[in-house]
Formats: sequence, structure tokens, C-alpha cells
Amino acid sequence: MSTVPEVDQTWSGPMLQLQGVEKSFGDLRVLDGLDLEIDKGEVVCVLGPSGSGKSTLLRCINLLAPPEKGTILLEGTQITGEGNAEGVDFVRRRVGMVFQQFNLFPHKSALENVTIGPRRVLDRDEAACDERGEELLTRVGMSEKITEYPDRLSGGQQQRVAIARALAMDPHVMLFDEVTSALDPELVKEVLDVMRELASEGMTMIVVTHEIGFARDVADRVVFMDDGVVVEEGPPADVLENPQQERTKQFLGLVLEH
Amino acid sequence: MQALWDSIQAIQDEFFNFKLMFDNFDAVIAGFWFTLQLSIVAGALSLIWGLILAVLRQTPGRAGGLLRIPAIAYINALRGVPLLLVILIIFTSLGQLTSEGAVPEFIGIPTWGGRPDVFWYGVIAITLTYGAYMAEVYRAGIEAVPGGQMEAARSLGMSHMQAMRYVIVPQAVRKVIPPLLNDFIALMKDTALVSVIGLVEVVQAARDVQRESLNSSALMLAAILFLLVTIPLAMLLDRLIKRQQAQVSRGVTI
Repeated sequence: MSTVPEVDQTWSGPMLQLQGVEKSFGDLRVLDGLDLEIDKGEVVCVLGPSGSGKSTLLRCINLLAPPEKGTILLEGTQITGEGNAEGVDFVRRRVGMVFQQFNLFPHKSALENVTIGPRRVLDRDEAACDERGEELLTRVGMSEKITEYPDRLSGGQQQRVAIARALAMDPHVMLFDEVTSALDPELVKEVLDVMRELASEGMTMIVVTHEIGFARDVADRVVFMDDGVVVEEGPPADVLENPQQERTKQFLGLVLEH
Repeated sequence: MQALWDSIQAIQDEFFNFKLMFDNFDAVIAGFWFTLQLSIVAGALSLIWGLILAVLRQTPGRAGGLLRIPAIAYINALRGVPLLLVILIIFTSLGQLTSEGAVPEFIGIPTWGGRPDVFWYGVIAITLTYGAYMAEVYRAGIEAVPGGQMEAARSLGMSHMQAMRYVIVPQAVRKVIPPLLNDFIALMKDTALVSVIGLVEVVQAARDVQRESLNSSALMLAAILFLLVTIPLAMLLDRLIKRQQAQVSRGVTI
């Protein structure tokens, strides 16, 4: 589609600014006036008990679940409410997402999963897409499995293909929604390693996770959420080792116990 | 004893008078040829029309209601009316409207491909009705595709229609091939209803022989011809279902 706006490579302000974001599902207020700012190249890990609104936060950012109130600026452009002149395309062109359940397209091979976005959305040439797709699959360690279908891949392999699929759209921000929660324990590392590498290359990442170790090692900042708001945020060393808020202490106590 | 033997012979003669079958074979086969053409043309068009309806039915959002609500109304209306009635309405109204000049003749009295107008009235009526049935089958398939597939497609920047076309519908169609085939078998049997507007398909052809001979053998021949097609289709259907069940138990997403 030629209507996709050109990507502004020159933006140097905050990547994302969220102010007073509210989102409800029926009577349930999931996000309750959430504020958050994320810089370019920053890796932010979002922790919190289930139901605290972490996944909804990600879905608000890429407008899969548009917020009802508040504003979100992406690279300085308002993407929510009346000010959303650029439309959903502007957002989806810049924001990639990886899901807990992988959500690979089961009727497409690994390579086709990676190339379908550039092919159909950006209308790019097939040969160029294939070349770039193979490059991305190699980068996530899947060069041997290019022609395999998702049902022939392990969960860890599927998730790495899903990361390559999101990267194929050249996003400026990557959202990770509990991407290792559905994996067998021995497969978690291969996915986290890919994310680690991505972080080291300077990708802006928002990572909703229960992997405290990953947050400690990789995150520039840890955000603790509960009841739809940010309770506490800061460098991982501060939030994880020396939490100030009672709710954070309680949660980390439960998570770190085992 | 003789009486019993006579009865058996009379019964055999009533249903399986092979000479009568043989003598009228060409006429019945000619009718069956129409039945097959009607089934294939109306079947193919129903598959397409049903898919269009099913996709329209899934249009999201408030603006999508302009497509969604008429599609739902249409599907419910046509599912709730006997096909026989639809055939009669199409037959009587199109002919009448053409004679009044309200509808151009090539639509009102269609004789495309050298087929008689009643053939095309039948095709139209069956497609209108079975399109609605098949739309519900497709709908079940579309709704059986996990919601994460649409989310993933949208997150890649696809529009709703692109996601339907490249991601949802291809998966949905695979899931519903068996029930679609089931509907096709039902459609094929329902083509007999087109005889009421004067198409000499297999049932009418056999009925004409029966009326003249006062013997049911030609009707039995028609039944046999149906079974020659529907039994293999039913067996194919069973195999497809077994294969799907095997795939599901292996954990393959179909």
C-alpha cells in the first residue's frame, strides 16, 4: 500500500510518551491513567501481577486496543483520539509486536511468515523480501528451518520466527508480550538470547515479562505496574534490589521466592 | 406358493424392470446431465457467494455495519425460506419483469451457454439459498481461527481485508472443506426441485417415463444415478474428516 507514510529517521526526542492513558473492557478499568515515557534505544521491562494491565498497555501502544482517554505520542506524533491524523498505518509501520502464543500463520512457511508483511503491506518485490527474510531468519538462528511450517517447529523456534517476522517491517519499537511464558523452560534461553542481541543493537524495546533475570541484565529501566498504573520505575538495580513501594516488594517477594 | 412368486415378480418388475430402464436410459441420462451441470454451476457459485457473504458478515466497526447488517439479514432470510419457494419466486418474477421491460432480456430470460432459462432460474435460486447456508459454514471456520491470528496480521500493518484475505480465510476454508462438501451433496439432491418450473432434470425425466409406463423403474434408475455420485462423495467426506481428526490429535493446526 502506497499510503504508508515515509519513516522519519531524524526524530531524536522521546520514542513514546503516554499521558493519562485509560482503557476499560466493559466495567473493568484495565489502565487507569497511566503515564510513561520511553526514549529511543531504551529497553524497558514491564513487571507486574497478572491483570495489572501490562498486555493492555502494549495493545494500546500499537492501537490493537485503542485507549479511551489520554494521549500517546509516537516519535512526537499523537496517535490517539482526535489528534490521530496519521492513522493506524503510521503506528503499525513503526511498532512491531511479538506475542505470548507466537501467532505464526500456520499455513505459511517460516520464510513466508517473515515476508508476508513486507510483501503485502509494503508491496515490496518478492525476491528482495525473500533475501531479507532469509537474512532475518539467519539472525535469529533459524536459517536451517526456512521452509518449515510452524507445526514442525518447537515453541522457541516459532517465537524466534515471530521476532524475525516483526523485524521484517523495520520497526522503530518492538513490543514483547510475555514472549517466553508459553515456552518449555529449556527453550526460554534461545528466545531471550535473540532479544538480548536485539537490545545490544540499540532497538527500542518494551518487554512485558516475568523473567526477572532478563530484566536485571538487559533492561535500562524496570517499570512495575499494578491496577492499571505505574507503581514504581527506575534502573533494574534500584527497583529489583531495593524497591520503595510496598506493592513492588510484595510482588518481587512472591516472584523471587522460588 | 404361486401367489407369493407372482408378488415377488410384480415387485421386481415395479422397481427393477431392466428392459424399461434400458429403453429409457438415454432420456434419464439426459436429465441427469442437467442435474450434474446444475449442481456444478450452482455449487461453484454458492461457494463464491457464500464466502463473500461470510466476509461481509465479519466486517468490524460501526461503519462496517453498513455491510455487516444487510449480510446478516440476507443470510437469515434465505436460510429461513424453502428453496422451492425461492425457485418459484425467481421463475415467476424474472419472467414477468422482463415482459414488462423492467429487466433486460438477457438477465430476465437468460439462455447463457445455450442452456434454457429454467436452468438459469434454478442456478440463481439455488445459489441465493445455498450461498446463505455456506456463508454460515464459512463463518464457523472464520470464527474457529484463533483471535491471535488477526492480531498478528494487524500488528504487521495489514488492513482488516488484507488480514482476511491472506491470513484468516485461507485457514478458515481448510477447516470447513468437509462441511462444505456436505452442503454440496445436499445441494445436488435439491436440484430436483427445479423440476417444478419445467426443467427436465433427472427426476423429471424419470417421472415422465413413470407417468407413461405406470412403472417405477425409471425413478429407481434416477435414484441409482444419484447414488453413483453421492456415495463416493460421502466416502471422500469421511476420509477428509478422519484425516482432520488425525491431524488435530497430532497437534497440527488445520
